[in-house]
Amino acid sequence: MIQLHNVSMSYQAETTALTDITLKIPKGDFVFLTGQSGAGKSTLLKLLYAELSPTRGQVLIDGVNLTRLSRSQIPFLRRSIGVVFQDYKLLPNRTVLENVAITLEVLGWGKRDIGKKVYHILKQMGLEDKVNSTPLRLSGGEQQRVALARALVNDPKILVADEPTGNLDDENKEQILSIFKEANIRGTTVVVATHDRRVIENSHRRVIRLEKGRILEVADVQG
Amino acid sequence: MSKGNKSNKTVRPKLAQEGLFGRLSYFSSRALANLRQNVFVSVVTVGTISLALLIASLFLLVYVNLEGMAEGWSDKVQVTAYFDREPAPLAVAALKGRVQAIPGTAKVVFVGQVEAEKRLRGRLKGQESLLEGITPEVLPASLEISLDRKHRENEAVAAYVRSLKQIQGITEVQYGEEWVKRFNSFMNLFRLMGALLGGFMTIAVLFIVSNTIKLTIYARKEELELLGLVGATRFFIKAPFLIEGVLQGAAGAVLSLVALLGCYFAFLKNAGNFLGINPVSAGLSFLPASHLAAIVCGGVLLGFIGSLTSLKRFIHV
Repeated sequence: MIQLHNVSMSYQAETTALTDITLKIPKGDFVFLTGQSGAGKSTLLKLLYAELSPTRGQVLIDGVNLTRLSRSQIPFLRRSIGVVFQDYKLLPNRTVLENVAITLEVLGWGKRDIGKKVYHILKQMGLEDKVNSTPLRLSGGEQQRVALARALVNDPKILVADEPTGNLDDENKEQILSIFKEANIRGTTVVVATHDRRVIENSHRRVIRLEKGRILEVADVQG
Repeated sequence: MSKGNKSNKTVRPKLAQEGLFGRLSYFSSRALANLRQNVFVSVVTVGTISLALLIASLFLLVYVNLEGMAEGWSDKVQVTAYFDREPAPLAVAALKGRVQAIPGTAKVVFVGQVEAEKRLRGRLKGQESLLEGITPEVLPASLEISLDRKHRENEAVAAYVRSLKQIQGITEVQYGEEWVKRFNSFMNLFRLMGALLGGFMTIAVLFIVSNTIKLTIYARKEELELLGLVGATRFFIKAPFLIEGVLQGAAGAVLSLVALLGCYFAFLKNAGNFLGINPVSAGLSFLPASHLAAIVCGGVLLGFIGSLTSLKRFIHV
């Protein structure tokens, strides 16, 4: 379970990204974070995988207070959270297979097991014929699916995605959303930040609306 | 969060990196793969290291040769002890033994009165009239003493002479005090200049190499950032980069030595002969094995420390 208690986050003294956020996301939930650009969606996500630490308040994941984690403990938290970054963060000089394999290499998996698992997930994503391509040779939708494969390959407890459908056409958006749903069905808690209304409306999931760093509304819509 | 709190929803396969050997083999293969995937950056780093070390080792080669040559001059430091009267042949052996026992003595030669006269006649060949009336009894017998290298400094020579004067029968000792002083001042100045130039050279090499490595690591900062975000520990991120640094440093050092050897055979081998500065060895001599090993170790250290300090800047986990 993800819990935020009275969380505030300032980048500088004058710039407040989040103000007094309190929310609970139960295990296995699928929620959308929405709001205008600058509403604080990305900041909130970064707090969940400890890229940022709140200026005030507490962030808990499965009862573990992230604000009390030491630097050396953070990697072990991140291994249980799959992250899809807004800019994908794919390494241009590595192949698709190598990009996805990074997550498993960090966990210490053997070469043969990595090969099997990565091929399996890339097949699920429809990328089995792109394993040896480099990211720059892929379309935007394919790059997004590689990023998604990297986030999901170790079956994380939580999946966090920042604007995952930003630059995609409708067909690719549908494909990405169905992957999220499948992961959620397998038990992964999914938190997606997006300002794409159509994606939210078609998904019928809980929506947390942010405005100027505050929670404006929590709408429970079940599909 | 402890290590035990990791997600374990699926049954994880056996870890490939168990044990020190397993981890080392993974990190080494990752480092080699990184070198292959970043050929241009690796070539630039190795090239910079080898060029910097080539300049430093050229300086070292010239310095070592000049020092060797200057050290050769110190062979001229010789102490002569004169006797008031020629000792009996049996006493000569005992006297030589007592001199030999003084620390710092390298070689002792007895020059009797007859021998001294013979030498004088040899030196004044063609001007024999100057030697009229001179008999061997006029010239004093002496001991000519060579000192070992550690005892050729001003104070060491003076202390040696004091010990020598304690020996009964020795009335006068000569050792070219002024020459020794000037020679030692020259050697001190030479070493100081060498240390200063060498120091500047070392700082320049450190600066150039560490900045090159910093730039190459900067070029891969996305990779460092991503590894941190997917849960890699600091050690996991650093280890392949450090191995890369060590490999690049070693390769740079070996290349610089190959280039140095090339320069040596092409230009330097006979330079001493040409300049007439080292007639004994007929040219400059190459660096001894200990210096070559030090250059390789220096390259490895440069690569390792350069990578380590640069990584600190870009790893945030």
